[in-house]
Amino acid sequence: MSTSPSRRILVGVGNAGVTVLDLLSVECPGMTGLLAVNNDRDSLNASIVREKIEVPEGDPGEGFRVIDEEFGRTVEGASAVILCGGLGGETGSFLLTALAIRAKSAGLTTMACVGMPFSFEGKHKRDLAERSLEKLQEICDAVLVIGNDQLSGGSPSIAAVGEAFVLSDRTLLAALLALTGMLSTSGPVKITRADIHNVLGKPGVLTHFGFGKAEGSNRLHESLERALKSPLLTMPGKGSTLKESSMILLLLRGAKDISFAEVQAVVGKIEQIAGDNCQIKVGVHADGPLGSPLELYLLASSGGTVRKPAKPSESNETGETNSSNSSISRIGTTGTIGTKSPQSTGGYEMPPEHSEGEKGTGELFPNQTKPASKFGKKAATASKQMQGTLALDTYQRGRFDKSEPTIVEGEDLDVPTFLRKGIKLNTPTRK
Amino acid sequence: MANEQIFVGLEIGTTKISVIVAEARADDQISILGVGETPSRGVRKGEIVDMETVTECVREAILDAEDKTNVEIGNVWVAITGAHLASFNNRGSLALPGERQIETEDLEAVEVNAKEVAIPTPNTFLHTILQAYHVDGNQNVIDPLKSEGALLEADFHIVHGIKTRIHNTLRCIESLKIGIEDVVLSSLASAQVVLSQDQKNYGALMIDIGGGTTDYLVYIDGAIRHSGVLALGGDHITNDISVGLRLPIARAELLKIEEGSASDPAVSQGGIISLKNDPRFLGCDVDRISLETIIHLRVKEIFELIRRDIESSGEGMMDLIRGVMITGGCSKLKGIAQVAEEVFDIPVELTRARNVSGATQIFEDPQYSTAIGLTKYARLVTKNIAPESMIDRLAHGLGNLFKKRSR
Repeated sequence: MSTSPSRRILVGVGNAGVTVLDLLSVECPGMTGLLAVNNDRDSLNASIVREKIEVPEGDPGEGFRVIDEEFGRTVEGASAVILCGGLGGETGSFLLTALAIRAKSAGLTTMACVGMPFSFEGKHKRDLAERSLEKLQEICDAVLVIGNDQLSGGSPSIAAVGEAFVLSDRTLLAALLALTGMLSTSGPVKITRADIHNVLGKPGVLTHFGFGKAEGSNRLHESLERALKSPLLTMPGKGSTLKESSMILLLLRGAKDISFAEVQAVVGKIEQIAGDNCQIKVGVHADGPLGSPLELYLLASSGGTVRKPAKPSESNETGETNSSNSSISRIGTTGTIGTKSPQSTGGYEMPPEHSEGEKGTGELFPNQTKPASKFGKKAATASKQMQGTLALDTYQRGRFDKSEPTIVEGEDLDVPTFLRKGIKLNTPTRK
Repeated sequence: MANEQIFVGLEIGTTKISVIVAEARADDQISILGVGETPSRGVRKGEIVDMETVTECVREAILDAEDKTNVEIGNVWVAITGAHLASFNNRGSLALPGERQIETEDLEAVEVNAKEVAIPTPNTFLHTILQAYHVDGNQNVIDPLKSEGALLEADFHIVHGIKTRIHNTLRCIESLKIGIEDVVLSSLASAQVVLSQDQKNYGALMIDIGGGTTDYLVYIDGAIRHSGVLALGGDHITNDISVGLRLPIARAELLKIEEGSASDPAVSQGGIISLKNDPRFLGCDVDRISLETIIHLRVKEIFELIRRDIESSGEGMMDLIRGVMITGGCSKLKGIAQVAEEVFDIPVELTRARNVSGATQIFEDPQYSTAIGLTKYARLVTKNIAPESMIDRLAHGLGNLFKKRSR
């Protein structure tokens, strides 16, 4: 990574958050800037994360003091804070918002990567999670939401409960990696904080997230296929959610030899699915050793309402947007763009040297005033229902499960028509 | 009978592999000598996914055909399909300095010019099919050869597909030590026997619904204006039934063939279909309306996709089509013509190979349209006598992919 890792702090909050950070430490051993925050001493002691803050249980006043002092001290000098945890539990919901407020008040870019509870965890948890999410979206610059219920859409309902939580943690980890990866992209093709804010910064927005990993000669197509098949990128019966998004963030991470043609191929394929009106932002992290697997992350959103005007503390982001728009047109037109300042997650960026690739700048620029997407409120309400009522076995491709999908007009046509149209049938009675 | 008058068509389908051995008669008709057939394994959505298994199946089918017809098969014409195939129309133009006579080389040059377009790197041209010539703005010149002009233009329908996937089919046949005359787009082959010249002139849409793919082709004014392949077919209907009614695939397939109907469930007779117990299946009662709903929705969707594709490929093209011809194994599904009529709003006819003779039960079955069409296509391409129509002549210009490859 080109930035000094200490400038960006990943905070695992509550049991779920700490577990994810542990997974992360195992996955990327050299990673620094990790912090575990919990009120459960046992969980903290078991964690392999080096820096820990224990928030005393049962005493909100003392809790706030610890957060204000200890957490405040830790994040001092950082450029960005990414909070990670599960919403719905008392700990996660309370701590996440409290930490977000503290980080934001220190003038830091604050992002969150949170998991929503499974519906079998009960209505109380769900309500609490939704309330906290609303608050988090108010406070943070970007919130990436993983709906656990949607996750189970991909794997059949026979999955063990334990497995469901492991899957949820794994996805949260991938989301965290995507977010940090995107934040630290540098070089000619990069994703800026403003882009992330643009996609994930609106309240009520529904996150669509997919990731895939593959190696070998066909790594690109395999990883893309896996990413596109991710349950968080598909709506039951409607195919890919990418076509509902106005902006898609794409992060490619892997060996040094990721080629221009590969990037172009993957963008072409996504464009095909998402349609012409969608803007694709690409970040490439090609610093791994040769032969390392290719990781592909897709991040998009739909719905959401317009955010209130920009706060002063966000002003440097707008500046950044202006100078480092890495829209797809740039890849197509320039191969020689100058090296960026190494502090890509910092504030200042070199001014653009090319203007022909700046097609998207106009709409990108002050993203806070961007009108709501064309799906507006309707999509937001519809998607809310979707998260809650998704039956576990509605997404079925049957015998075509393992074959190349037939995707026409963005719909997966291997899924039976009656399922996609949501038509109820009488199931046969056994004799 | 000279050996070159025998043509062998091979179709590697998703459900079955068929080999048609036919003989060209003096009166220009095709006479079918016999058919070799095996159920297909290792093919999904019209494309080979298991090379070894498919090769074995093709070998069996060829042996079967040799057995039945007493003809030793040396060379075959192969049909090709798959969703990777794409098409577009393009015009080539050639300036003729000093208003001279148009020569054969000019016709070739204008075709090369039309092919100078960017297709995706992994793709290769499969067919370049002539639509019409224009000389100095004189539209639709039937035969520009020897006429004088300053500007020769020609419209072509160009079909291309992923090279490696086309090569897979060829490799599979080559490994059996069988020569390949040419590869032909499945729908182009079917159209040779399914559509009459009148229908091609008048404006027709041919839809060949098979097991794994639906291939379609639009003829207007005697020339191909559009072609397409949807990786959807009878297998999808079976899968829908299997998912919707929770039946094993084999049972769902049987139910589709025995009781399936694509007609609107609103006019269904309703009631219950009783599936009997058998050693591997616990019987159950199936609601007929549910079954018909599943099939109707899928079939209607396939037709709607085709309609939308045609509409988006050329403005007003749909209005120039006067009739729809449906063939392929899946056309045997009850009520399918009514659904097509509802979607396309023009007369629909279920059809099969015509203008052929021989064993009647073979050409009367719509599932052999493509394989029979291959032999007819072969006849048109290899015929030496003066071309009687545009279609015969365009055939000479078809890309002979295999020969190019082996050179």
